[in-house]
Amino acid sequence: MSIKRRTVLTGSAAGVVSLTSGLAAPAIAQSDPIKIGYLPALTGPSSSTGVGINRGTQLAVEEINKAGGIKGRKIELITRDTQSDPTKAVNAVAELTQRAKASMIWGPVNSGEALAATPLIARDKVPMLHPCWVDELIDVKKYPMAFRIAPTNTQVGGGANHYVVDVLKLKKVAVVSDTTGYGTASANTYVPMLKAKGAEVVYTNHVDAANPDLKPELLRMQSAGAQAIMPWSVNAGFLSRILNTRGAMGWDVPVVGQTTLGSGQTKALLEKPENWNKVYSNNFRNCCYVNGKLPPRAADYVERLKKEKIEFADTLLWWVALGWDGAFMMADALKNAGTKNEDIVAYMNKVKDWPGIYGTVTWTPEQHNGFPDQEVVMCEVNSLRDGAFNIAPGYSS
Amino acid sequence: MFASIISYGLAVGAVYALIGITYNVMFSASRVFSFTAGMLGMLGGVLGALFIKDWGINAVLGFVAVLACGAVLGLVTEILTVRPVLKNIEQHLYVLSTLAFALMIQQVTAIEYGTEAYPFPVLIPIDANSILAIVDQKFWLPVLACIVTIVGLEFLYRRTLIGRAFLAIAEDSYAARALGLPETRLRMASYALAGVIGTLAGFTGAQMLLAFIGNQPILNFYGFVPVALGGMGSNRGAVIGGLALGLFQQAANFLVGGIFAAVAVFAVFIVVLLLRPEGLAGASAARRV
Repeated sequence: MSIKRRTVLTGSAAGVVSLTSGLAAPAIAQSDPIKIGYLPALTGPSSSTGVGINRGTQLAVEEINKAGGIKGRKIELITRDTQSDPTKAVNAVAELTQRAKASMIWGPVNSGEALAATPLIARDKVPMLHPCWVDELIDVKKYPMAFRIAPTNTQVGGGANHYVVDVLKLKKVAVVSDTTGYGTASANTYVPMLKAKGAEVVYTNHVDAANPDLKPELLRMQSAGAQAIMPWSVNAGFLSRILNTRGAMGWDVPVVGQTTLGSGQTKALLEKPENWNKVYSNNFRNCCYVNGKLPPRAADYVERLKKEKIEFADTLLWWVALGWDGAFMMADALKNAGTKNEDIVAYMNKVKDWPGIYGTVTWTPEQHNGFPDQEVVMCEVNSLRDGAFNIAPGYSS
Repeated sequence: MFASIISYGLAVGAVYALIGITYNVMFSASRVFSFTAGMLGMLGGVLGALFIKDWGINAVLGFVAVLACGAVLGLVTEILTVRPVLKNIEQHLYVLSTLAFALMIQQVTAIEYGTEAYPFPVLIPIDANSILAIVDQKFWLPVLACIVTIVGLEFLYRRTLIGRAFLAIAEDSYAARALGLPETRLRMASYALAGVIGTLAGFTGAQMLLAFIGNQPILNFYGFVPVALGGMGSNRGAVIGGLALGLFQQAANFLVGGIFAAVAVFAVFIVVLLLRPEGLAGASAARRV
């Protein structure tokens, strides 16, 4: 058999191809940064949470990269501000998953944008980590690559119900919400949960948040014998009117509910500072002061941040901690599983008691909601210092 | 309970009445229902809080500045959204143009000022033991503003030449123009006046309603109800309708509460219009055949 010139050329060309594909590819891959798509709302009407989470995420990525990155590869955070707008989030998803080929997605950090973006990220088969609370975002059948590092709305409501019924041992409860989708859905979900715990819901109503006078509502609650008020609303005007009316009536009943009860906006609308007494809002056990001290993990973390001159004057510890945990959780997954999506999901499905600053996370193949019920607690809203609150009275430490 | 119905009812009712008058003043001059009335009310609160609380301007100067902004916005409304569509008024394009302008301003406010409710400063420092403190100023300020406005308008329309000129264009703009009245300038003056009244409503009511962009659609609607109830163009009707609406709404809050209070208001509104389509104080228009 004679060796033809063409055969030799074809053979050597094939050899060169196999050599380059066999040798050069890993060399490129090892020096390339690993891309993480990141969708915070840094501007727009619901951006205060996003700004806080962003601070933690940026700090964590800086620290991971300073320590050598992931097996020598730096993390490249591709940030797209959703501007609190679901349409912008959806556009950014296409860019991150299809053009930038991000290995994982962190966010969107607001529920409205997350609801719009999650199906698209799932379609493109990119593993994602959620910091939002809306229950529908996690569904292992529909979105097998989506995981949540925060509590669900059901857990948040359950935490408030647990505090009123089991910790304060109050049985007669008034539940009131505004007429928004969030308000009515929350009240309609939490009232049956309260009843299932054996509480008597003596009064429940949806009220227009713009109603300037809530005295009629509070008088009705009082005459129904309510021992606690549970308002579900993110409207600071509505919440402050409940607190001001309670104060004007001289009615010494606890108000237990969502985090906006403790926001600066609500505080600014109070007629008297005392109207904030006996008001308890959702918070997280790892980020609350117990007997004046933070739990060890959070205390170490705050010390480290203070050394780097990071202040908490304009943000909350749990927001920053959540951002930090998200970045470190993704770095852990990429370090242990590499950048293939199936491997990342397989790794995350087995995460157990992962010790975050914000929460202790556990996932299984059947359950991608990773936050433990017992870490959703209530705090005293008038106790804010250095971005954290005192845990509400009555919890065993 | 009774005191609360009266105080809140009259105060909110006075704000509704003033917004109703704002609609009327614009309507009389142009036959246009400008849906910028709620926007003016919302801005009265937001600008007042911005000037006095955030920028630290003295309350009196802040008040004047808010009303001046209202007047300018009134003029802009007339030039941008009313004048271009006046020729084809029967097509009712003003609904679209005025509503679009109001929504634009609302969006700008949301972006620049925020979507949350913000506190409005206490305007008049009153000693807690003085006789004036028996009823909170957040209740009597809008009522006082309403009284001053209605008396002022009555004086303007009945006793002054310029007021009579306003009435003349309201009656028949074609004839008024034929008599040599400067129709365009008078219309612009009416819109500026409406801007002042609308922001006055929002400013005096803001201690109760807060500085909040969400007040715009509410004032737009609840301010329209007294106009429909009292008869279009009738300021006296708007005042009676507004106060009645406020009192009824607050009574419904106490009696049925929650979302049912709003349903009760709508139900009464529809029943009244079915029985008297021309409004309580309006005269039924004779149609020329």
